[in-house]
Amino acid sequence: MTSVEIKGISKSYQPGVPVLKPIDLKIEAGELFFLLGPSGCGKSTLLRILAGLVEPDAGSITFNGREITTLPPEKRRAAMVFQNYALWPHLTVFENVAFGLRVEGADRARIRREVESALELVQLADCMNRRIPSLSGGQQQRVALARALAVNPALLLLDEPLSNLDARLRDTMRHEIRRICKERRLTALYVTHDRQEALSMADRLAVMQQGEIRQIGRPEEVYNHPECRFVAGFLGDANFLEGEITPAGKFRSHFGEFALENPSGCTPGQRITAAIRPERIRFVDTPRPGSFRARLISRTFLGESCEWKLDADGLELTVTESAAPVRVPGESFELEFQSGHLVALRG
Amino acid sequence: MRNFYRYLLLALVAAFLLLFLVGPVYTVVEVGLDRRLLLEVFSNYIYVEGLFNSFLIAVVTTVMVFAISLPLALLYDRYEFPGKNWCNLLMMLPMILPPFVGALGFQQILGHYGVINTLLTGCGLPAIDFLGGRGRFWSVCFIEALHLYPILYLNLVTALGNIDPALNEAGRNLGASGWTRFRRITFPLMKPGIFAGGSIVLVWSFTELGTPLMFGYNRTTAVQIFNGIMELETNPVPYALVVVMLFFAAAMYLAGKFALGPGAANPAAKGTAGSSATPLAGWRRALPGAAFLVVTLAAALPHLALLFTAFSLRWYGTVLPEHFTLLHFENALSNKIVIPSIFNSLKYSFLAMLLAVAAGVLTALAAVRWKLRGSAIADLLAMLPLAVPGIVIAFGFLGMSVKYTWVAEYFNPVENPIWLLAVAYAVRRIPYVVRSVSAGLEQTPEELENAARNCGAGAWTVLRRITLPLILANVIVGALFAFSFSMLEVSDSLILAQKSQFYPITRAIYELSQILGSGPFTACAFGVWAMLFLAATLAAAGAILGRKIGSIFKL
Repeated sequence: MTSVEIKGISKSYQPGVPVLKPIDLKIEAGELFFLLGPSGCGKSTLLRILAGLVEPDAGSITFNGREITTLPPEKRRAAMVFQNYALWPHLTVFENVAFGLRVEGADRARIRREVESALELVQLADCMNRRIPSLSGGQQQRVALARALAVNPALLLLDEPLSNLDARLRDTMRHEIRRICKERRLTALYVTHDRQEALSMADRLAVMQQGEIRQIGRPEEVYNHPECRFVAGFLGDANFLEGEITPAGKFRSHFGEFALENPSGCTPGQRITAAIRPERIRFVDTPRPGSFRARLISRTFLGESCEWKLDADGLELTVTESAAPVRVPGESFELEFQSGHLVALRG
Repeated sequence: MRNFYRYLLLALVAAFLLLFLVGPVYTVVEVGLDRRLLLEVFSNYIYVEGLFNSFLIAVVTTVMVFAISLPLALLYDRYEFPGKNWCNLLMMLPMILPPFVGALGFQQILGHYGVINTLLTGCGLPAIDFLGGRGRFWSVCFIEALHLYPILYLNLVTALGNIDPALNEAGRNLGASGWTRFRRITFPLMKPGIFAGGSIVLVWSFTELGTPLMFGYNRTTAVQIFNGIMELETNPVPYALVVVMLFFAAAMYLAGKFALGPGAANPAAKGTAGSSATPLAGWRRALPGAAFLVVTLAAALPHLALLFTAFSLRWYGTVLPEHFTLLHFENALSNKIVIPSIFNSLKYSFLAMLLAVAAGVLTALAAVRWKLRGSAIADLLAMLPLAVPGIVIAFGFLGMSVKYTWVAEYFNPVENPIWLLAVAYAVRRIPYVVRSVSAGLEQTPEELENAARNCGAGAWTVLRRITLPLILANVIVGALFAFSFSMLEVSDSLILAQKSQFYPITRAIYELSQILGSGPFTACAFGVWAMLFLAATLAAAGAILGRKIGSIFKL
């Protein structure tokens, strides 16, 4: 198992337009780590720098403490699953998967063994002699994964590998990729802009914006305790409230006073933005301490849940519930924040 | 370190191009760019008329080529019809015969006692003098157009194929009529193809030597240069003529580029959403195929005429030959210049192919993949022969062999022109290889090579195991074009092969055609051999490529 350390890696394709501002990151051995961010945030560039396909302007990368920053891609053992799979159409499935082992100089018996094992792992052992164009998108994705796994990589890099698959197949493959990584005890770096993919699969994740890492942590940590407005909004729907810190360390908005999950670092009188997830606001039958009234604007049925839009004294709030009871728009309701879920944002 | 070797290879290609492309052009320009000589060209009525005629041939031929190619390309792109798969193959037919050899056979059709006049007089109509006066001019244009239309056609089909059908559908969705969509969407987007094909046709027909020579239409600049070679030491005017021709060719190329808008030479449209061809129903299904057949039959006329002439004992004043014979074939094979010329052509063309493929593949790799600094200059140099007439380069080589002793030693046209001809052939074929290989590289995602490197493969392994196999069809196509066009080369062959034992096929055919009496018949018989040989080469390439034969047509 390999641990990866990135120190001060930066990259610009055009002078003065940094794609990556100096990045520091540590990925533990055997960890399935996600880089999550919108298109153009630099996550794929960072991945390609790790693969050696893009040269960084500055900084260093170490695998298990060994510096590999200037090592050519073929010497890194950082196998990559490309977004469009990059399978060679002139070779069969077997030949595609065997390629890296052949380059390594492995003997025929080992090549056969490793290829079969990799294809079995991705459940494609019966497609060994098929040509690439005859495979479906999902099968091609699995061949690409098998090709990367066959070389027993020090680091597995995955560049949005599920983005070309339909929703159902994507769900299955999420589970499969995680299972394989854990079975093989692989250190893996996975790039995606799909928050559900990141939240459901990652051991830890980093959220990136404009070439910078905004927050690193376990999925539930980052989801429940976002440090900035961008992270809160990117990982899911959020209600943002403007207000100030009271002498008692509470958060005061124009429609009430609420307890903060993370008051440390906030000073009395300081104006801040706080965030709360829609599923952390609930309807209550009677007024109670900490509850407030809001008028129902609209209702949207989402299948597994129901989304309500409410007006709390001029602030539009979104609330989601798993049930979908009948409520009439225009009427007012009593709401409350679940304790420990209103978080102060730092930026 | 890897880049060091890449730069070294690129430097070798650049040196080759500088020496054998820029060198000859420079030699000609150096002597020809003389005020006195240029004044003589422009003050001599004969030379001015030659220039005017050449220009007129170029314009008329190009218009004819457009009239043939554009409707066919649109039919091919827009409709599904029976036999569509064969159409592109049929379009290649004119390429197996140099136009001047076709002209040889065509004289039997257009001559005073030829097929058409026999038919006209048979119907009680007066005979037309196709090969005298203005008739010669139109015959030259017609023959050249029938030879050159595939170049424009293939470029147009490729350009049309690169236009995303959704763009047209969007126009239709907004209520644009067929004509409006063609004018506002299709035509602007196919400009790169029009420019690429049109400029080659324009420059080619402007500088064509063989066809006017064969028809005896001597008042063209190319023929005047050819005829002036004999007295070059006493009259250096041909140098100035070459400079003027080069200037006009470049001006035509630039005018085309200007007319077709900025960036027309760099087609950016890539990747399509698939075919949007409309299937035709009923009797309409037969129309596109019939149009292709009519053009193919017209294009095959020179070949048929050549074939009949080669087999005819007597063919005067009749629609078909009166008697058939194999005598001319025997004569052709027993003539002492014929067999060596076949081996000479094979040698020259094979060497030229190797050189062109090596230089072309490296240039394409440097420009498209390696993206080395300076590769754009090598790329530009490699594409330059498209705008520089063959006769200019041939003439330049001649000048170099007179001027530089080292050239005279290794590239002497009199002593042994094997390397001279191989290099001359190669230099002018490099663009076809560059274009074909570049297209292959652009269509092959770089990610496939990155994936191989990611799997541990070094640069050489990636090139050998991934890049080359993926672009093999394009390399073969480039090689095929280089070989075929070298076998058909006229300008270099007529100017640089000066001793009979070094004659290539085209020069041998020309020499045979000049023999009084049975000469033209023997030349036709040899022309048939050459035609069959080239057809066999193309067929063999088709067999090698198998199902990938279609990629031949993706210029």
